[in-house]
Formats: sequence, structure tokens, C-alpha cells
Amino acid sequence: MKAKKEIIVATILVAMVLVTLFLYLIGTREIEYNQIVSIGIVLVLVGLAMYIIWDKIRNIQKGLPGKDERVISISHKAGYYGFIAAIWSAVLIPTMIDIIFGYELDAGDISAIVVLVSGFVFVVSYLYLYQKGK
Amino acid sequence: MKTRIKELRARYELTQEDLAKKVGVRRETILFIEKGNYNPSLQLAHDIAKALQTTIDDLFVFEEE
Repeated sequence: MKAKKEIIVATILVAMVLVTLFLYLIGTREIEYNQIVSIGIVLVLVGLAMYIIWDKIRNIQKGLPGKDERVISISHKAGYYGFIAAIWSAVLIPTMIDIIFGYELDAGDISAIVVLVSGFVFVVSYLYLYQKGK
Repeated sequence: MKTRIKELRARYELTQEDLAKKVGVRRETILFIEKGNYNPSLQLAHDIAKALQTTIDDLFVFEEE
């Protein structure tokens, strides 16, 4: 029952992200290059999240648990990697952009980078650990 | 660490999915334990041993380094 609730919440979140993205694209007159990259990363994250949800549903339909001790363990590990990536991306990326392009990012840009990088690292780490086994 | 899960599964004609259902984990978890890619918790090791009517000592072969 708990797993089903989690799937419903995750599906609603994915749908909300897609609707937000759709409304954002409608409201934007001109899309810049960096926006295309950000939107691409969001779409990859949404796609991977949908895969994880689908995988849980498939297991539940077979009478198996949506998550077990291995999945919980790799979620924790991936969360740790995502957290480390968030910290480093908040420090390194603005510094590198300042050094290379001489452009200072504002707080909104940095927040978006931190969310995208940590989310990306979490999902990639999760899938890597999922395939590797531990 | 090596395991005798595959051998005992064959003896009792259990698929990985059957065993996974018995012990309440995903099929992939059984697969990774069999391959030695995942070390189960003591509780899960106990549950698998019980499902295969054996002991943890008999099920898992620890190699000295």
C-alpha cells in the first residue's frame, strides 16, 4: 500500500514537472542555448524518473516488493553522491564560469545549476548502482 | 563470497522470482546475491537460508583473503 502511494505521488510530481515545463515554454518568446541545455537535462531526469516508476509498478504487478533492502541501500548511496555533487557544483561551476567566461552567475542561475546537477548525479548514480548490484 | 543459492534453488525447483517472492525482495536482488555482487543483510541471509531449508553457514562460502 505504501509503495502504491509512493508511485502515485511520484507520478503526480512527474506530471507537475512536465506541466510546469510546458507552461514555461509557452510563456517564453525566445529560447536561449543555456535554456535548451537545462530543459534537456530536466527531460532526461523526467524520463529516468518515469523508468524508475515503471520498474516499481512492474515488480508490484508480479507480486514482488516495489523496493527492498538493496534498492533502499542504492538510493541512500545515490543520494549521498547527489548531495556531494550539489555542494561541489555550487562552488566549482560559478567559479569556472567566472574564470573562463568572465561572467558572474546570479543566485537564481546557481540554484538551478545545483538542482539540475544534483538531480542528474542522483539518477545516473542510482541507475549505475542498480545495474551493478550494490 | 560464493553462494550455493543457485544449486539449492535447482534442488527445490525454485526460480529466482519464486525465491524472491518467498523472502520478499526483488528478483534482481536474488540474481546479484547469486553472482556475488551484493552482500545481503543478516536478516535477508537468514530468510533465504530458511526458504532453502539450510543454514547461513551452508549457504554462503566465505573465502579467506
